[in-house]
Amino acid sequence: MSKERVSRRQFLSYTLTGVGGFMAAGMLMPMVRFAVDPVLKTEGAGNFIATKQKVSEITDEPVRVDFTFKQKDAWYESEVTNTAWVYKNGDKIVALSPTCKHLGCTVNWNTDKEHPNQFFCPCHYGRYTKDGTNIKGTPPLHPLDVYPYKEKDGFLYLGKAEPRKEA
Amino acid sequence: MKWIPQEVETYLNAKEYVDTAVVPLYSVSVGGEMKQSAAAAEFITLLTSHLERQFTGRIVLFPPFTYLKNDSTEKVFNELHNWESSIFQSEFKHVFYITSEIEWRESSEKLKGSLIWLPAIPLEQMSDSQKLTIIDSQVKQLLTLFTQKWHENM
Repeated sequence: MSKERVSRRQFLSYTLTGVGGFMAAGMLMPMVRFAVDPVLKTEGAGNFIATKQKVSEITDEPVRVDFTFKQKDAWYESEVTNTAWVYKNGDKIVALSPTCKHLGCTVNWNTDKEHPNQFFCPCHYGRYTKDGTNIKGTPPLHPLDVYPYKEKDGFLYLGKAEPRKEA
Repeated sequence: MKWIPQEVETYLNAKEYVDTAVVPLYSVSVGGEMKQSAAAAEFITLLTSHLERQFTGRIVLFPPFTYLKNDSTEKVFNELHNWESSIFQSEFKHVFYITSEIEWRESSEKLKGSLIWLPAIPLEQMSDSQKLTIIDSQVKQLLTLFTQKWHENM
């Protein structure tokens, strides 16, 4: 036994400080967490979505890359699958949106026999060259949108498609 | 274009380019066959929505034409005939009906629009990516069918 005995008053003040401390911490911790939450969030998610496409496997021939993400539509959350046409131009990757700039159909690569190596829209026979530029005389008036991209762990990450500046 | 106000507005502004209506046909049965009925509806819903994605700028996807499976064929047919005449009266030049109900094949000649019958593939056990691949391959086949039909009337 130690010589200094704990008095009743001391014992009570220790326990009260301890318990009070826990209660204060329990109240303050969530507040702090909420306060710093936005900081943590932007760091984690980012706006780039992972695809299953390995960067090393991209060639100069456009391939279809599907990627899925969650979209909130009013109160209904659904999984949306988007597509990109991806190819390599030299050592740069080009990821084009397949949405036709005319009325929004999906364009396909190299499906029109009369005009090989072009993007072709089956709806109104719109055509784009390989770099996404609309061909004069066909319905589309703007070039195809371009996805910004990132490379991470060897896989391709795509952002939100942006309209390309007119050449 | 989907049957939502924004896209219908786009349609109204671009009528000269959008000349095709797609109408899914669903039969509804209650009781023992409820599940098959739902499975067929799921398949047709997925297929038509994917088709709409491919051909957004040329088709309007109508809300499905729904009828009771044990209603008389004649009654159901007349009803669809009404739909057809109103659709053709507006500015649509082509109508496609998409269904997995075998009964429609018999009456397909009596319709002015084209009836596309596809056997329903049960999708419930599949993962999303499998569903996507299957629906995608089906849509690819429909793609040629649609473009052929459009070429005929050029």
